[in-house]
Amino acid sequence: MERYETQAVVIGGGATGAGTLRDLSLRGIKSILIEKDDIASGTTGRNHGLLHSGARYAVKDLESARECISENRILKKIARHCIEDTGGLFVTLPEDDPVYHNELLEGCKISDINAREISIKEALRLEPNLNHNILSAIWVPDGTIDPFRLAASNILDAKEHGAGILTHTMVTGLELKSGGNIVRAADEKGNQIEIRCDLVINAAGVWGQHVCSLGGIELKMFPSKGSMLIIDYRINNIVVNRCRKPSDGDIIVPGDTVSLIGTTSREIDYSRIEELRVDDDEIDVLLEDGEKLIPNVSKTRALRAYCGVRPLVAISGETMGRNISRGIVLIDHSERDGAEGLITIAGGKLMTYRLMAEMTADLACSKLGTGGRCRTAKTPLPGSEKKISERKNVRAFTGISQSVVGSTLYRHGLRVQDILKRDKKNYRLICECEMVTEGEAEYAIKKLDVKNIIDLRRRTRIGMGPCQGELCAYRSAGLFADFGIYRPEKSIELLYNFLEERWKGIKPVLWGDGLRESEFTYWIYEGLLGIGEIKFDDDPGDGDGV
Amino acid sequence: MAYDCIIIGGGLSGLTCGIKCAEDGLRTAVISSGMNSLHFSSGSIDVFGYRQGGGKVYRPFDYMKETAKSNPAHPYSRIGSRMVRESLEFFNDQISLAGISLHDNGDENHFRITGLGVMKPTYFSQDSVFNDKFKKAVEERASIAVLNFDGYRDYYAELTVSQLRKNPIFKRTGIITGKVTLPFYTRTEKNLHEFRSIDLARVFDTEKYLPRIAEEIKRAARGARVVSLPAFIGIDNFAQIHKRLEDLTGCLIYEIPSLPPSILGLRLDNALRSRFAALGGEYSGGDRVNGGEIMDGELDHIHTENYGDTRHRSRFYVMSTGSFFSAGLRSGFNMLDEPVLGLRFSGSNRRSDWYSAKFFDRKGHPFLKYGVETNKYFNPFGSDGKAVKNLFCTGAMLSGYDPIREGSGGGVAISTGYFAAKRIIGEMKKNK
Repeated sequence: MERYETQAVVIGGGATGAGTLRDLSLRGIKSILIEKDDIASGTTGRNHGLLHSGARYAVKDLESARECISENRILKKIARHCIEDTGGLFVTLPEDDPVYHNELLEGCKISDINAREISIKEALRLEPNLNHNILSAIWVPDGTIDPFRLAASNILDAKEHGAGILTHTMVTGLELKSGGNIVRAADEKGNQIEIRCDLVINAAGVWGQHVCSLGGIELKMFPSKGSMLIIDYRINNIVVNRCRKPSDGDIIVPGDTVSLIGTTSREIDYSRIEELRVDDDEIDVLLEDGEKLIPNVSKTRALRAYCGVRPLVAISGETMGRNISRGIVLIDHSERDGAEGLITIAGGKLMTYRLMAEMTADLACSKLGTGGRCRTAKTPLPGSEKKISERKNVRAFTGISQSVVGSTLYRHGLRVQDILKRDKKNYRLICECEMVTEGEAEYAIKKLDVKNIIDLRRRTRIGMGPCQGELCAYRSAGLFADFGIYRPEKSIELLYNFLEERWKGIKPVLWGDGLRESEFTYWIYEGLLGIGEIKFDDDPGDGDGV
Repeated sequence: MAYDCIIIGGGLSGLTCGIKCAEDGLRTAVISSGMNSLHFSSGSIDVFGYRQGGGKVYRPFDYMKETAKSNPAHPYSRIGSRMVRESLEFFNDQISLAGISLHDNGDENHFRITGLGVMKPTYFSQDSVFNDKFKKAVEERASIAVLNFDGYRDYYAELTVSQLRKNPIFKRTGIITGKVTLPFYTRTEKNLHEFRSIDLARVFDTEKYLPRIAEEIKRAARGARVVSLPAFIGIDNFAQIHKRLEDLTGCLIYEIPSLPPSILGLRLDNALRSRFAALGGEYSGGDRVNGGEIMDGELDHIHTENYGDTRHRSRFYVMSTGSFFSAGLRSGFNMLDEPVLGLRFSGSNRRSDWYSAKFFDRKGHPFLKYGVETNKYFNPFGSDGKAVKNLFCTGAMLSGYDPIREGSGGGVAISTGYFAAKRIIGEMKKNK
């Protein structure tokens, strides 16, 4: 049994939990975060990665719109290496109600979102792949955000300010009593952990219902599934939204080397949140509607599909749908349930993670009667301290190819200094699709809480490119063994789990070149290497993500 | 007519067929679009490795006879085990004429070691993977050193050894790992840590550094009698390099295929192509057959990408264009077909039927069994439902078997190619 004592325990390693951990740590509150899987492995890593301008809410939900644009401006300063300032478009198709166009402009004006109508010619100049039949276009300050990097940077900064983190550790018990709470947990090896703390912060998103129930408290979540589809090229460089009431298949977001079509929305039963899968008809809808925005979509290879669960909360414990909030929900359980040491933060969106963390940390500080002011709106995340200049860095790493320096910089910002070394083995490529070097993999494994190849993918993009892990998966397994992190048997198991996890996202879009690639991968791992004949004990983890 | 037989597809099946036809004096051409799947293979020839319900096959020809009763539509059932055996003997003879010796284990499968240390059943292997000396060494529990070249990223000796040690066969065998530094690693501007098997094999082919490499191997082997290396010790000059390394080190040198490209497979491909050329076959690389016309149950002509509307005519045709991966079969959003001639296809049109829930499901994936449907002579059916009498389909494009799960890809490719050639030769004789 491992025992710890701390001021606050944060449950959940999504963006909100990670942001809260960072906020508390910057205020000098000693904190430990517990995550059952990996950082950003839940809903955080399963959305479309849109850096909202707020325009998508400007017609129906002004409060959300204002939150978004305010956070949009903050994140562009503090999270430069997690963000691409692409800009976004709202385009009206012939079949869409033209009235929405004006409502959107009006809503943006009220919400202080810098939106402007542009000519169709200008829209097509900005995004030549757009449907040429659009009737009107609005430019908005949308962008893209990488949720994996965002969450990992928050964790990194928190750790550098003294926080602790336990990933792949499941909370198993919650003892809430005045004068000291106890959080019990178990890691994957079955080691038991007990943490005494003054405050428990439930930032487990949709899993927050379960966390509350461990403490005997009822909290009702209404999970809503959203599915997305990734296509194997960056077919657009600007976020493209459909100018109509938000609906299925109305947005295409570029991200790194790919583009992503979002999103569907389907209510699901809470008991099913662990076994989510993308349905075939969701793929049909996304492709059909994506095609209307950018006609190349159906001619482009679909790379994978995945889904996430939105954590919508019933505020007053009602079970009927009408009291469900889509906004931020911060619950002080001392008022609601007499549990003084428990806070739940839920609802909201990736975009408002920092604001949610600030609200949570404010409440936490007032309950603890200690801690300073929030600094996260001004303090840049690790790697984003200064404006990032690719030219300067390419010069600083003469001898290493520009694309390697550029990719590393793109993913880790100024921390590139800790990663690249002028040693040929350090900068040899492990993943050619995404230009991931051995040095980057080593940095991620040793510094960024990477426990398996799936985690490594979230930190580095290994296996996220067109080949979905054909060669890099085997090499990564080799590296885990080489670095002495795991026994070789365990490394092979990680490899197996990684390939099974990739398969979950590939099979819903298994046709054309994707099917050819899968046959090849199967050929190598089953035919050539015979991995299917090896016996393992564990089941692979959940499939997810971009 | 310029040709007696045009073969579409220059892989294991097409080339075997071409060699047999050319050997018999037929005017034969092979049209190949590019690299074939031997470049991604183990370089051993699997004939029948796994039983239908799971478990390994030890005697492949016996299992073929069992299969003939339980699954009459299987390509082997149509050919019969006797002719499969004949085709394999033919193949072995041809490969050895090209300077590569293949070894079998009599009627039984032998086992090759994979990069993950799994022992896979197979039928023919090259000299560096199976021969009597290895067999004896394993029986005598000779010590083994599993080596890698320092900085080579496509193979990890520790992964191999971790599984080998679990295998009862090696229970009382001493196995160590080690690293060999290649002397030319420091000598080039390129990042040698990014070299692939093919780059290294080309350096080996120069035979320049062999004595120094042998010294390094001896040092790393620490007295082991058998040394395994990732498979890239030469392509063209492999046979003498292998022998020289064994002489210089005093060890038996074993090769384990690393990530592609497969040097072991490449050697076979080169051997097949050189045999085909030596027998007067015409090989056209880098061109793709993109259509043809079937009239009254006969393929009249074909055309290719490079020659536009020019019609190529032949008395007989063979298609060995491979599976989905090789583009011999095509899948789309809820559709499957054979893309060149639109031959009758066997497989479900519902996407969700194509795959298993798990990637490494014991049952494999249904789509691997999909392919072109044929009659018992491997004549496919045209859109009019009639069998196309002068066209034969062979190899991975055929339906009704799962090359990977069954471990039968090599054997089916060779035997169906050979079978088609024999049919064509027979027909030609009749017509004369």
